[in-house]
Amino acid sequence: MLKYMGQRFLSMIPTFLLAAVLVFSFMHMMPGDPAGVMLGDTATPEQVQALREAMGFDRPIQVQFLKWFAGIVKGDFGQSIFFHIPVLQVIRERAETSLFIAVLSMALIVIVGIPIGVISAVRYNSIADQTFSGAAMLAASIPTFWLGLNLMLVFAVMLGWLPSSGFPSVFGSRNLSNLRYLILPCVTLAAPNSALIIRLTRASMLDVLKEGYVTTARSKGLSELVVTLKHAFRNSLISVISVIGFTFVGLASGTVITETVFSLPGIGRLVVESVLRRDYPVIQGVILIIAVAYMLINLLIDCCYTFLDPRIRVS
Amino acid sequence: MSKRPFVCVALALLVGLLGVDIGWAGEAPISGGTLRYAMIDTPPTLDQHVVTATLGTTISQHFFETLFTFNEAYEPVPFLAKGAEVRDGGKLITIQLRQGVLFHNGKEMTSADVVASLNRWGKSGARGPVLFAHVEKVEVDGKYGVKLYLKEPFAPWATLLAFANGGPVIYPKEVVEEAGKEPILPKNYIGTGPYRFVEWKSGHEIILERFDKYAKRTEKSDGYAGERAAYFDKIVFIPVPDPGTRVNGIKAGDYDYAESIPGDLFEGLEKDPAVKTMIRKAAEFGEVFFNQKEGMMTNPKLRQAILAALNLEPVLRAAIGPEKLWALNGALMPPGTKWYTKVATQGYSQNNPEKAKILAKEVGYKGEPIRYMVTTSYTYHYNASVVIAKQLKDAGFNIDLQIYDWATLVSRRAQPNLWDLFYTTHGFVPDPMLYTFMSPAYPGWWDTPSKRQYTTDFTSGLDAAKRMEALEKLQALFYQEVPLVKTGDMFTYDIFSPRVQGIGSSTLLNFNRFWNVWLRK
Repeated sequence: MLKYMGQRFLSMIPTFLLAAVLVFSFMHMMPGDPAGVMLGDTATPEQVQALREAMGFDRPIQVQFLKWFAGIVKGDFGQSIFFHIPVLQVIRERAETSLFIAVLSMALIVIVGIPIGVISAVRYNSIADQTFSGAAMLAASIPTFWLGLNLMLVFAVMLGWLPSSGFPSVFGSRNLSNLRYLILPCVTLAAPNSALIIRLTRASMLDVLKEGYVTTARSKGLSELVVTLKHAFRNSLISVISVIGFTFVGLASGTVITETVFSLPGIGRLVVESVLRRDYPVIQGVILIIAVAYMLINLLIDCCYTFLDPRIRVS
Repeated sequence: MSKRPFVCVALALLVGLLGVDIGWAGEAPISGGTLRYAMIDTPPTLDQHVVTATLGTTISQHFFETLFTFNEAYEPVPFLAKGAEVRDGGKLITIQLRQGVLFHNGKEMTSADVVASLNRWGKSGARGPVLFAHVEKVEVDGKYGVKLYLKEPFAPWATLLAFANGGPVIYPKEVVEEAGKEPILPKNYIGTGPYRFVEWKSGHEIILERFDKYAKRTEKSDGYAGERAAYFDKIVFIPVPDPGTRVNGIKAGDYDYAESIPGDLFEGLEKDPAVKTMIRKAAEFGEVFFNQKEGMMTNPKLRQAILAALNLEPVLRAAIGPEKLWALNGALMPPGTKWYTKVATQGYSQNNPEKAKILAKEVGYKGEPIRYMVTTSYTYHYNASVVIAKQLKDAGFNIDLQIYDWATLVSRRAQPNLWDLFYTTHGFVPDPMLYTFMSPAYPGWWDTPSKRQYTTDFTSGLDAAKRMEALEKLQALFYQEVPLVKTGDMFTYDIFSPRVQGIGSSTLLNFNRFWNVWLRK
């Protein structure tokens, strides 16, 4: 198992290098100039050029890449052009929001999605199944911005139960009650993703329930609960786990629309704003970190597979 | 004689007096509380010397101040300065500073700080070179005096020293020396204002606190001038990019003031008792620039043809919406300002496609594609341009509407071989010399002998009447050489909680300020 993980870890190195090259090249192929955006409309071409030189954007692209990559290896992602602070600090300040969103939304998605998916499969074609399937379809179809704004209108403006937007730091203020700011965004994000997990769990369970070993388990006289949870559910999890993993990284790496609607200082808005400002070091830093997160999650999912399915472990 | 009229008058007077009394009692300023300001974005830096972002000035003017500022009539008046004298035929300006003005680090502001700040702004600032092209040197004149030596008389000097946006705010000398040409870092945001900078959490909020040792002026508040009383304990600026969220946030009580709300929500919000609206009459205006360096638009007659074709009312309506939020104004400056004149504005919004066709035919235009660049990063740019492009197509022009994000457009417009027209907007400036198109280096590259002559006449004269005459000639030239089409004045509006008091109704205000403003309990 350790050898397997070591091999997988080593195989991440070329992927990381490729990601770094691609991220850097694509950023610098984009038209537009950070100096022009930063100095605004009143700047003369001479002032823009002077700032470009001061920021080192006049140097050959390969020199810029090597300087950037050497910094990355040392853990220095450079300085944000826009914020004038280290990129890692910018990311750290935004990561809190995104991680809280990812964890809380994911908890909601799993708590709602998996049990409903299992019940729908077990009670296949019943009224409950059809109701859940219909609700899941509806939740998946509602646009996030519409749901978010309406939740805000009802629970913040009309009822006044929850704050409408923003997220004061939990760590900075040492105040856990600030998490109430994330209730509406997490519900907004959980709705379509829960629907996905419901449908996936249901489909996967239905496949497994048709397997011979489930029939064998039943013929041994095991209770329906044991058959469902121990034999069917565990095996149906394999496909669900990988979707959960990638959904988690997707949530942590940015949910632009929800972050914009609820004015949350998260990674998604940071990326979009940085692209519009051409803040290359921030975009490169964030995308590289997201790429690494995807690689690690992939590794973790593979480990989960080996735990859930001994056949994979043996092979 | 009936006593009824007397009784009525007496009752009316009593009610009136009571009303006034109630008004006074309700409107007495209250210290304390936090003002939560929902802003549209995050400014790039709050160092006023280097950037001209409106938002940056809105925030930083609470802690950075200038030697001069503007009164309600948008005339420059002393602020950190006690006064100034113009000598030597306009070539020497001596500025006396107020004594006892403290920086937020406790140090007293002296001439050394002012000279260091002016030199930095003049040499590497956003607007400083406009003044410093005429400055020979700046010198300390005792502890509380500064001498500004000019190469030749330059009339707009006080206006340029008063305009905080990209302007010469005064920093401590040590801060200036540490920063050099680089933007000043937040830890060094040390000014003299009624609030002091506390913290900038990137993406979260910018926090200011009242500065208790603020050396305020004693004159009555007048525009940006006079007394600046800080009633809030804190002001927090929070980025809320979505306009729907800014509106909901005000209604839910999460914010007290929200800026820049879209025009299509105006009528509903104006009637809503849960919010108050304020139109900012310091107009922004749309600009369709012509490439005068390369391509077919170097021909002024073709530019005149395009100007003749346009009917700007539907353009403004499409861009902004309700009539209260825009005005058809072809003058270089908005009404109410010192330099407003109607001369030659008959050339504005001619709505004459037939004339356009004739002019285009005269210069031999045969339907070649005209590359028109616009961004979708700002919806109102795009909406205005769609109408403009349609009107030009109807007048026989082959418009190739090219859509880019803002950064790409900014980059492309610097390359004269890539475009013929581009659309942008310009914020309010108190002096025509601060318009970007007055710089011959600005894309569009308006640089003709007549323009240079009238500009010199306008800036070097000390006689106000002669300066106005020069400006009228410049405005007439604007409609003759057509370096760009001005689409008209556009006003943004803000909403705020009815608890916020003292906002006032300044018509020319363009940077929201929260001194002399308080929260009702």
